[in-house]
Amino acid sequence: MKEIIAIVRMNKVSATKKALVEVGVAGFTAVKVMGRGKLVKDPSVIEERKQNLLNLAGQYDSHTEKRVTEFLDGTSLFPRRMFTILAHDEDVKDIIEAIIRINRTEYKVGDGKIFVSPVFDAIRVRTGETGEAAV
Amino acid sequence: MMMIRAIVRPDKKEQVLEELSNAGYHAATMIDVVGRGKGKGLQIGGILYDEIPKSLILMAVEDADKDGAVDIVLRCARTSGTGAVGDGKIFISPIEEAYTVSSGAAGL
Repeated sequence: MKEIIAIVRMNKVSATKKALVEVGVAGFTAVKVMGRGKLVKDPSVIEERKQNLLNLAGQYDSHTEKRVTEFLDGTSLFPRRMFTILAHDEDVKDIIEAIIRINRTEYKVGDGKIFVSPVFDAIRVRTGETGEAAV
Repeated sequence: MMMIRAIVRPDKKEQVLEELSNAGYHAATMIDVVGRGKGKGLQIGGILYDEIPKSLILMAVEDADKDGAVDIVLRCARTSGTGAVGDGKIFISPIEEAYTVSSGAAGL
């Protein structure tokens, strides 16, 4: 048994849920989280999106520009959805591939992370089943 | 790789995150949670408060960085001086694999 923790964009949640059903793993738990990733060291990576956001603002001052930059380069916290998925060992590869396929964007940064950890036991509350049967 | 789950006071969260960032552990995820610890909650008058708000910080780090990150959380989240009941807990569990979605690359 493995626990897969996937942190994805808010607007990719329904696509991710759909993809999980398609790989045969319907069960998951999701929470809204705030987070940040690695700092963006190369400003050119976020330049295009920064300009798009600033154009939306119309007139802007240095304060607005600073806020937008911080939002994009990972200095400040931003909202994401965190999925926790319990899976059989043999399904892990398919699930990871599906999540990566659905969540990848052209933005280069901020698409999320996936972590896989071992689970020692699981118990279904309704029946008391343990181990693989409870997943 | 290790997953560090630190439960800290909400008012210490900012400082913990800032110090972690300064030390090079920038990536983190935050969740607002409620819970109780060994202290069984707070009894004030006739009312028992056993859903106390805390902040849960999730961090994935390389094995070698674990002690450094834990030290920072311990130092920043502790109530000044000797610490106090309710300062929080840190749990560490193994991560077998990690992937970055944008590149599909394995590792942190």
